[in-house]
Amino acid sequence: MSTMSQRPRPRPRLSLRQGRRGLLYLALLGGGLIWLYPFLWALGSSLKSTDGFFSGGLNPIPSEFHWSNYSEAWTQADFSRFFVNTVLFATGTVIVTLLATSMAGYVLARTDFPGKKLWLGLVGVTLFLPHGYTIIPVFDLIQRLHLLNTLWSVVIVQSAGGMVFGTFLFMGYFTTIDRGLEDAARVDGANFHQIFWRIMLPLSGPMLATVGLFACINAWNSFFIPLVFTLSRPELHTLSVGMFNFIGQNSTAWTLVCAGSVITLLPIVLIFIVLQRFFINGLAGAVKQ
Amino acid sequence: MTSSNVSRRGLLRTAALGAGTLALGGGLSACGSGSPSSSADALTYWDWYVTQAPWVDKEIDLFEKGHSGVSVKKTTQQNAKYADLVALANRSGNPPDVFMIPQVPSVAEQVAKGWLHPLDEWATPAWQSRFPEGTFLEGANVFDGKVYSAPLKGSGPLYQLYIHHGVFKSAGLTNPDGSVKIPRTWDEVTSAAQTITKKSDGKSYGLGFGNADGIGVLAWWLDLFVRGAGAPGGAPTGAGTGLDYRVGKWTYGTDRSYADFLELFVEWKKRGFFHPNSVSLSDEAARAFFERGKFGMTVGGVWNQPEWTQHKFTDYSLVTLPSPTATPKGFYYADPVGNGSFAAVSAKSKKAHEAFQWLDALTSPAAGRRWVEDLNGVSAYPAGNDPDGIDSKPFAAFVGMTRQVLRGPVPLVRNPELAGVAPGAPKPDISDVVTGVYTGQIKDIQRALSSLADKKYQLLSDAVAAVAKQGKKVSMSDYVFADWDPTKPYTTKKKA
Amino acid sequence: MSLLDTRERRRASPPPPPVAARPGLGRRIRAAKWSYLYLAPMAVLLLAFVIYPIFASFGYTFYHWNGIGEPGDYVGLANFRQILHDGIFWGAVRHTFVYAFVLVPVQLLLALALALVLNNPKLKFALFFRTVYFIPVVTSAAVVGVVIQLMLANFGDSAGSLLAKTGVTDGHIDWLGDPHTALAVIIAIGIWHTLGYNLVYFLAGLQTIPAELYEAAKLDGCGPVQSFFRITIPMLRQVGVVIVVLAFIGSFQVFDLVQVLTGGGPYFATEVVNTYIYHLAFGGSAGAAAQPDIGLASAASFLYGLLLIVFSALQVLALRQISRRRTAAHQ
Repeated sequence: MSTMSQRPRPRPRLSLRQGRRGLLYLALLGGGLIWLYPFLWALGSSLKSTDGFFSGGLNPIPSEFHWSNYSEAWTQADFSRFFVNTVLFATGTVIVTLLATSMAGYVLARTDFPGKKLWLGLVGVTLFLPHGYTIIPVFDLIQRLHLLNTLWSVVIVQSAGGMVFGTFLFMGYFTTIDRGLEDAARVDGANFHQIFWRIMLPLSGPMLATVGLFACINAWNSFFIPLVFTLSRPELHTLSVGMFNFIGQNSTAWTLVCAGSVITLLPIVLIFIVLQRFFINGLAGAVKQ
Repeated sequence: MTSSNVSRRGLLRTAALGAGTLALGGGLSACGSGSPSSSADALTYWDWYVTQAPWVDKEIDLFEKGHSGVSVKKTTQQNAKYADLVALANRSGNPPDVFMIPQVPSVAEQVAKGWLHPLDEWATPAWQSRFPEGTFLEGANVFDGKVYSAPLKGSGPLYQLYIHHGVFKSAGLTNPDGSVKIPRTWDEVTSAAQTITKKSDGKSYGLGFGNADGIGVLAWWLDLFVRGAGAPGGAPTGAGTGLDYRVGKWTYGTDRSYADFLELFVEWKKRGFFHPNSVSLSDEAARAFFERGKFGMTVGGVWNQPEWTQHKFTDYSLVTLPSPTATPKGFYYADPVGNGSFAAVSAKSKKAHEAFQWLDALTSPAAGRRWVEDLNGVSAYPAGNDPDGIDSKPFAAFVGMTRQVLRGPVPLVRNPELAGVAPGAPKPDISDVVTGVYTGQIKDIQRALSSLADKKYQLLSDAVAAVAKQGKKVSMSDYVFADWDPTKPYTTKKKA
Repeated sequence: MSLLDTRERRRASPPPPPVAARPGLGRRIRAAKWSYLYLAPMAVLLLAFVIYPIFASFGYTFYHWNGIGEPGDYVGLANFRQILHDGIFWGAVRHTFVYAFVLVPVQLLLALALALVLNNPKLKFALFFRTVYFIPVVTSAAVVGVVIQLMLANFGDSAGSLLAKTGVTDGHIDWLGDPHTALAVIIAIGIWHTLGYNLVYFLAGLQTIPAELYEAAKLDGCGPVQSFFRITIPMLRQVGVVIVVLAFIGSFQVFDLVQVLTGGGPYFATEVVNTYIYHLAFGGSAGAAAQPDIGLASAASFLYGLLLIVFSALQVLALRQISRRRTAAHQ
């Protein structure tokens, strides 16, 4: 923290600074190792033998590598089918969330209309009320829409849960975009739709990445919604539901459970690594006010 | 920037996004509304049997071979979510053809709500006669004279004390002939736990359990130890169970056995006999720890055994009803109500006849014997519960114990109108109280026990009053069997 | 839509139009038709799947109902009375507040410190470290619960007994099983699990501070400490409020982590409001096949929501009071 804005100093000081920086890297690395320790341990344990799991204790490094844990977990839990479902579910959720929240965020940030304040107030209040203790009203609604036991229902209910957060982020982001841009486009003859779809939306790339990433993480880890809305069609289950059943069915095959955890975790970590450079910029845009 | 410049790029983007949405839409609906072609003519079947799955799968195989053209599609749901999922499936009008009857709501309510298909069309007196006498019981699996379900399981002692031979031997707890010295009384358990804890130098503990899953593991200990001390109600976790039928009340506060055992339990803890991680271990972890000799004794049910057998760990014994003295003064009692209803045919099933055939196969004597041979538990058919021919010694011991299960009073036999009584569960319940006592959060054991007994009685009276309000002739006296001797078999008489 | 319409409205709206010139409500609604259309998908989803269920559940609070069929047993306000008299509920409220009021400050301070370090443009591998510290966020609480439980079970044999033998701890501690330590362990895991969110929020906030400000401060002879207090803190205030509010909202609704780690135990020592509600809505806490009580669960949930709204209102009032006093002092 103290290295942030040092003035140029004479030479002997410089080496001291280098030493300090070295210490900083060491601290960051050590902290990171502790931070990731549970993952490293799970990763290591996923490669251990059952006996190695018990004798190994907290040591993450397996004495011998049992790659077969992965193939066994993969086939036993039918992960390939769940994987396809999860990708469809997450993609659908991301698209629905992005479309609905970017449009809503835009009009809430850049236009004025009767009822806007009331709506924002109502949305704010929902943040305080715990939802999800009874699924019955939503279940009845989905059933009346004849969407039960389809992936659509899962996508819709999951997306609905992310509306408030995404809308607020887009709202913040669009407020910061220079108004001159819109005005210029309007002078050029662009209408309301053109301004949104061709100027504002393309400009909000980082925010699309951010909200999309959050929606994707949540969908990927969502358990109760996919379980309940596909209850009669287990072949539509997602990875997290499959993982839950897998844990239940292998309650003491812990090395397999660890392998399963790594399998469900890896794709979402990769998605994060790919999207993350946009992600902070997007947030930075949203909070700049 | 000019609008034409913007538009071309924007259009491309929109088009790409649109195409993506369409493609995805195709994918979603293909998965969504696509015809369940292959499974359309299969019977759908739901259960929560995980460790018992090999048995179910074998039964499915045999059934499909015997009934060409009929296939069974099994879905094993998570135990913790099972009741909710069955309720929602019925709400959606698309329940499975055959399902294990969930524990909530009461079977009476499931019948009243029209979930279950009456079986009387097929369950003729001749068919019924293959089951032991007293199997079909109005209010349990028969309603208004119509049969709705049939039993799979028989009654065994619910919990046992498991004893790890390796740990006992290395602590020197052996008889002169080299065999393991099996503790049978409270004092013997205490001294064995002490010896193991002392001699193993931190490698093993005398006792251990895994309480993390919230399945009431600590109530198992209380239940197992107080019965022999003469508290025939024990401490089962089901709502409305565990009364001492001699008085028709819960006797947690009045029968000294409860407080006596809990004080002993706390003493065991204070003296360091328990594996220190017991409260936060999962039941599964505790099972694995026991297998590896991290503690010498634990309390559990027969469900422990298949996994240990699978791991080739059979060097243990089990005892039931450890008591203050060598002779137990209370026992386990047969449960014709709970065991009587296993699975049912859905009222919505379009293949009710095939569905019944599947239920028939699952509850046949041959399937029952295979249930026993696969070490799952005891069969509803006494003939199937023969320890001979079972390789696993511990399991054969368990099967042998079914003979110690007594016939006890059954309020439902006396008054079938009690079927609709569905009392709530108090909070904290008995397993919470034992946990609180163990962790030291509850200091006044006697007061906690008395107030729980009162609360349970209040909840049951409320539930009885609610049923009485519907015009049924029920009262709390239906739960009192003053002439019952808990050490002898008892035949419940129908109310005149 | 005519372009003219929008342009006129857009020009007029940012500074609120003078009251006298305000067009009629109907006209304004018609003029904003595209706004409504764009808002519609979000509004429909939110109304149908979030707001409607909340209102529907409000109806359940007056019934004794196990969630099967339709509610029929009207009990008036009995559910609310029962919750108000339930010591376990108030214990759960207390645990939730302890969780929030310990977790939020500690987590935010850690996240801010880390963000300041990682925001340094001269720092190499900043992206790498950012990823490392964010990764727990992408993990579901269920997987975290499984892994941590397995780890702590093994902990007993290695580190736990090591600590005990070296005299750091007095005897063996069952971290999640001891009522004295369980909540603290859950808070620590909570801090670890969601710190990444606050880290990136702070990083985003820091990026909005123009570098020129720091350069100007340097020219004025400000040291790093001074520029931290004079520039960073004031510039972060607005973002900071949002971060604090989000962190509190999240912590007050803590559920998954507690459910998978302890289920609220031992003996309610870590019961938080949402696990309490969950146990009511989905049957008993201790394996008993207890009847779910949707009415009671809904009543508990509404009482808690009310409590949070009152709490937030008080907070807003207090903040206003402070800022008013401050302005008064400045004058």
